[in-house]
Amino acid sequence: MINSLKITLSLLLPLWFLISFQTKSMAVKNINHKIVLKHPGEDIPVEVTLVEVQDSDGLPIAYFTDVESVICLEQVCKIVSVRIYWNNIGVYQKYELENGATLEKYEDDLFDPEDYKKLHTILANIDSPYKEVYLDEILTVVDEHTEDIDAVSGATALELDEKDTVPGAALTCFTLWHWVNGDIVSIIKNKTGESVSNKQLQQFLVDENETYFYIAIAELQKRKNYSKEFIDTIIKRGLKDDFLLRTAFNYLKGASVENYLYAAETLFFKGSREQKLTTTRSLINTDYKVSKGYLNNFSTQFSKLDYQEVSLLLELMQDKNPNSKVVIENVLPLLSGDFIIARRAYWFLNNETLTTKQEREIKCFYKKHKDKL
Amino acid sequence: MERRKFIRNIAGTAITTSLLPLASCKSINGNVTEINVSNDLIEDEQWHQLGTGKKVKNPLRKKTKSYDVVVIGAGMAGIPAAVASARNGAKTVLINDRPCLGGNASSEIRVTVNGVAHLKPNNLPERETGIIEEFLLENRAKNQQESYPVWDHVLYDFVTREPNLTVMLNTQAIDAEMNGNKIVSACCWQLTTETEFIIKAPIFIDCSGDGLMAAKAGALYRTGREGKAEFNETYAPDKPDGWQMGASILMQAKDMGRPMPYEPPSFVIKYDEEKSTKRKIKQFIDGFWWVELGDDFDIVDVQEENRHKLMGYLHGVWDHVKNSGKYPESANYALDWVGSLPGRRESRRFIGDYILSERDLVEHKHFEDAIGFGGWSLDEHNPGGIENLNDPPSFFHYKFKEIYQVPFRTLYSVNIENLMFAGRNVSQTHIALSSTRIQGTCALMGQAVGTAAAICVEKNVLPRDIVQTHIKELQEQLMRDDVYIPKVAANDPKDLAKKASTIFGSSTRSGDVKNLINGISRDIDGKINHWQSEEDLPAKVQLEWEAPVSISKIEIKCDSNLKKNIMMLKQPSRKNHITTIPPELLKRLDVEARVQGNWVKVCSQEKNITRLIKFKFDQIEATAIRINMFDTYGVKTVKLFEIRCYND
Repeated sequence: MINSLKITLSLLLPLWFLISFQTKSMAVKNINHKIVLKHPGEDIPVEVTLVEVQDSDGLPIAYFTDVESVICLEQVCKIVSVRIYWNNIGVYQKYELENGATLEKYEDDLFDPEDYKKLHTILANIDSPYKEVYLDEILTVVDEHTEDIDAVSGATALELDEKDTVPGAALTCFTLWHWVNGDIVSIIKNKTGESVSNKQLQQFLVDENETYFYIAIAELQKRKNYSKEFIDTIIKRGLKDDFLLRTAFNYLKGASVENYLYAAETLFFKGSREQKLTTTRSLINTDYKVSKGYLNNFSTQFSKLDYQEVSLLLELMQDKNPNSKVVIENVLPLLSGDFIIARRAYWFLNNETLTTKQEREIKCFYKKHKDKL
Repeated sequence: MERRKFIRNIAGTAITTSLLPLASCKSINGNVTEINVSNDLIEDEQWHQLGTGKKVKNPLRKKTKSYDVVVIGAGMAGIPAAVASARNGAKTVLINDRPCLGGNASSEIRVTVNGVAHLKPNNLPERETGIIEEFLLENRAKNQQESYPVWDHVLYDFVTREPNLTVMLNTQAIDAEMNGNKIVSACCWQLTTETEFIIKAPIFIDCSGDGLMAAKAGALYRTGREGKAEFNETYAPDKPDGWQMGASILMQAKDMGRPMPYEPPSFVIKYDEEKSTKRKIKQFIDGFWWVELGDDFDIVDVQEENRHKLMGYLHGVWDHVKNSGKYPESANYALDWVGSLPGRRESRRFIGDYILSERDLVEHKHFEDAIGFGGWSLDEHNPGGIENLNDPPSFFHYKFKEIYQVPFRTLYSVNIENLMFAGRNVSQTHIALSSTRIQGTCALMGQAVGTAAAICVEKNVLPRDIVQTHIKELQEQLMRDDVYIPKVAANDPKDLAKKASTIFGSSTRSGDVKNLINGISRDIDGKINHWQSEEDLPAKVQLEWEAPVSISKIEIKCDSNLKKNIMMLKQPSRKNHITTIPPELLKRLDVEARVQGNWVKVCSQEKNITRLIKFKFDQIEATAIRINMFDTYGVKTVKLFEIRCYND
């Protein structure tokens, strides 16, 4: 197998790389990382050198590594070194060959100019069919016209649309696609997180591309940095993009109880439906001790909530703030509103300790709606 | 239109004939001559019973049984047909001529249970659901070693535990008693008990492949290849001919870890690889599907002759692998299993009210009576099989990018009123068969006819009436039972979930909880129809009604990853294939109902192994139900496709 795959380092390579590298003027420092990667075509993990390119502020701006163009099992393939480039969040950018080098197809055919472009498109497609095939499926493609499937055997020989492959170069496509889109992507994200300053992490938290947010959160957790400044930024982002709330709360639950409760309260009161639901769920599950006064405050919002929000908030109150006079007072008006909400409020109140007047109110509700309870 | 009219006219005059020497199975209007009758004087004392000391007649074993539905053939079409019929309330019998269940998929033949196993361009499957999904998942749970004999028993367990279903093995349906254009009974011979069975029923389903009983009943059929013109088929030959795709004998080899010699038997037929076109010998584990022989006239007539030759050809190929010197990598391989029973691809195709053809498939024609789908390629094998090495073994004319519909009108006889079919013997052209013959597709046909049979019994109607007056009911029941019908959304008026005032769940990772009542229970056509929880399990989904509803059944469709094949492959797994219970499958859950304001647990499942989870309990009056999901088989979140509630 490709134990023989040797990753060559940029230092010894010709200048072609530096000439072509788009961000060369910004690049001030290259940092080499020895990393170990699994490739689905390899029996054992392979060590490669990943080069991190930083700008003058120490911000990673790109990564690259050199790999062999094809996994070669029979030692008859032509192998050339291919340099692959990613941006600082692991998104593939381009590939380059050494000067004069060419890629080869099956049976000594060379890549056409169009094939090089198509290879780039294939590598950039994170959902390429190559994601879903094994090496042995590739290896059976000796001649695409002889590869058949039959109902009896169920043998799934690789058959791809022409747009998804370079005909005659499936093994090259497979090899490079998995280098480009494999484990290295998450390694790049980690390296970027590790390299940036706290100031840069602040920028990541507000970047429109949510990948930066995820990188920043993971890094802040590693650094155990739960400063108010970061928490405020995360709250702001969570109010804007509710799909980031789960990640945000994963971080917030590591903060101090004061900061956690501050964040929860802000997200609940300033946020819309998703923020309210996510916050309530978090409060139900939190191990922090939450005061009655803090929870009572939440009950002032009942009249503004929909059924699911009411139901979840009542679950929270039932669990962590039972028999609160403030909550009961805030729930009672729900009995005269939307019926589904009213019924949920009734069952909540039915298990609470009520005053005689309150008892009368819920009995009245029962009499009126007993057929629908 | 002209052609179908012609067929109907013929149908009106069809006469039942009996070709077999089982005289008692002639038409009920004919003379009955009993079998096993001796005319010697000693006949009264032929059998000396040493146990009793008596000398008695040789017993004449003959039994008459009555059922609602008779299903003949227990392959991948027959099993779903019988189980669907039984589960939908019809007293059903499943009759199989072999000792093992599974037909071509059984341990006797070992054809891979393919379905829509790889659509273009990504080679991902669109797996069949319903009953076939149920037993394939069960096989993953109970037969992790992938033993074919154990698979036989998984199937045996699956059908014999069904309360409304009787299973008869080693029993062949060899004739039919008729009353006009209706079958009155199937005449069967049970080999092991030397017993003749007369099986009466109002509805018969022939899933036997060759369809002997249906043929004896007088059902019209055709064999051979249609010419291009008849159905405007691109891949049909210019002129019609008699060719029927062949049967194959399979083998399995095993790496013994040391050199293994091989000596061919005397009946070997030499294989000449030099003269062979596109026949791969790349791996030695699961045999060679192209060891195949068909016929250009009457394939049934030559099956035994072909079987002998196929055994010879099989050993010829293996002799070539082992002893030609061209495959040194085969040195440690030895034959671990060789088939003696060919798996058949084609023989009779019975005529229905509609004949499915190539254009219907490749143009994705929409049928109002659609009951299932297919999507295997137009995989037409060459005329001549292994005796025609010049042509490739299959032409693989056309590969599908999306699934096509199969209509119900192809599944019942045009001239025998109470006869249905499922499997390779349904109403279709040779080219359409080249795709629909795949067992997963056949299984969907089976579930459709089984379900239709139960409706026929319940309503006292005939299969043709289903199309005219009950097709929506059939489709709704199939979809409730987890059959997917392309481009059709379920809308069962009895489903109480659709009447819920509100539905909500734990936080959402993808999809929408409202998708659980949208009637489409898989992600398809580029649309998401699921709800997936965001947080790690446990997760909840709740439905709420404005007034209490009576509920006694809750049915949930969860995720089993339909983009992976789960059948046994006999060869190394592929990336689009899984050899375990899918890690996405919901394993542990319970259901609570809110009764009088209190949550009451009504049912639970600790080790679910089905995609369609059905709970049945004593009727309750509830204003809400809550499904609590705790574990899958590996994935940390849960994905659902449908929730239904009933009180029926």
